[in-house]
Amino acid sequence: MDTQDLSIAEMGRALRAGSVTAVALAEDALGRVAARDPGLHAFLEVTRDRALADARAADADLAAGRDHGPFHGIPYALKDIYDTAGIRTTCHSRLRLDNVPTEDSVAAARLRAAGGVLLGKVATHEFALGGPSFDLPFPPARNPWNPEHVTGGSSSGSATAIAARMVRMAMGSDTGGSIRGPAAWCGLVGIKPTYGRVSRRGVFPLSWTLDHCGPLSRSVEDSAITLQVLAGHDPQDGASADMPVPDYRAGLEAGVQGLRIGVPRAFFATASAATPDVLAGVDRTIAQLRDAGATVEDVTLPDYALFAAAGRVIMMAEAFAIHQADMQSRLLDYGEITASRFVLGAAITAADYINALRARRELTDAVNAALGRYDALLTASGLGTAPRFDTPVDNRAASSPMQTIPFNVTGHPAMSVPVALAGDGLPIGVQVVGRPFDEATVFRIGRAVETLSGWESVPLPAFSG
Amino acid sequence: MAETAGETALAAEFDALMARAGLTIPADRRAAMLDGFADLKQQLALLHGRYAHTAEPANVFRLTPLEVR
Repeated sequence: MDTQDLSIAEMGRALRAGSVTAVALAEDALGRVAARDPGLHAFLEVTRDRALADARAADADLAAGRDHGPFHGIPYALKDIYDTAGIRTTCHSRLRLDNVPTEDSVAAARLRAAGGVLLGKVATHEFALGGPSFDLPFPPARNPWNPEHVTGGSSSGSATAIAARMVRMAMGSDTGGSIRGPAAWCGLVGIKPTYGRVSRRGVFPLSWTLDHCGPLSRSVEDSAITLQVLAGHDPQDGASADMPVPDYRAGLEAGVQGLRIGVPRAFFATASAATPDVLAGVDRTIAQLRDAGATVEDVTLPDYALFAAAGRVIMMAEAFAIHQADMQSRLLDYGEITASRFVLGAAITAADYINALRARRELTDAVNAALGRYDALLTASGLGTAPRFDTPVDNRAASSPMQTIPFNVTGHPAMSVPVALAGDGLPIGVQVVGRPFDEATVFRIGRAVETLSGWESVPLPAFSG
Repeated sequence: MAETAGETALAAEFDALMARAGLTIPADRRAAMLDGFADLKQQLALLHGRYAHTAEPANVFRLTPLEVR
């Protein structure tokens, strides 16, 4: 059986029908990693022994009638900022090369308890911020659609591993768009759940109040299955929300008939970096959703620049608080891009930070008001396709190619869904944003977009091994 | 090319902030960091003076009663 294109649900059915074993799924995936990863650099560490042990345990449990649910026996990977007991967790940084946690992060523990099979730890931009870089202890992950192009960051290895069909799901983290950006640029689904929906405990922080944990995957259904495992209250995470977790797959196929969707068009339509392919992709999606019965209207939100300013100030101030001591003593051990971004936190005053938090309140209220009138918002994920590695790095805020940080500032759930290949053969995506804790509607609309766009019939990059 | 007065002031401000934070910036990285600082200052300007005293930050918190055993 060729297992590389089986969805998580299909793998689960095959496992329960006895037509495949978890060990076979793991060995197939490990074989693809061995064949494909040398040119793509998704994995920092392949945990072969752990994977086979997990898989044998999954098979034994199923045989004994202990079914741990839809993630049972499914191979996956973790961004290398997720603590894994006994497995090195480096943050892709020289500063943490010797860090071997003694406990799993909550996300890793939940995936393990759900019967998942850990294949290994995957690349990230250094400390989930600085990259892509060639001055770090590991090379940057490359985009399987064209290895001369970046994946987007910071969940770079997660996106590479999925787009190269090594795994169906890999965990990412999203502080300004680090799940949704790589998902958009690599033709994947990436969801940033509501702030507080998934525990951050045991994941190295970039910015405590902007960090979100979530999956990248091949499909909306894969993401819904994974979030079902991850979501839930963690009393030891100060931001964790004690909210009910619905069945995320229950309404996936409900369509968009009768839903109201707002489009903050000024976000992307007035951005100088927006390409015709992206604008056409959003407009085509809007037309398809209308044809399917949704009401789609333009909506006005505060200026994008205000969201971006609040997000950057909060992120840099919090990140610098985390890294100040190491920056003072080991600045040259950071990659050049990482250091050049982290030092900006030293230039932010207390009043600047508090003004950004005042903006956060204003902006969250504005998005909530819009979502009082609409079931969801739809916007671009990024303004173009993935650039080449040799494109000069431009740190200026106005040149950001992503449209994701507003919903880190406000905490609303947001998901990137691929819709088309642009003229350069690289993917583009749209972003669906929901009400707080209403990931179910985000999945429902995302599934409709996935179906209506025809993305499921777009072939992913082919590999000989 | 010679620095303008504005660039000189910006560089002096940057150097002072880095010194206050206890950071030693390598000479070969300073120019890129200065560019980032100039860009950040434009964003900070968007937030400066925008709010009256009634606009509270998002991290204002509330307490709930303790369970006393």
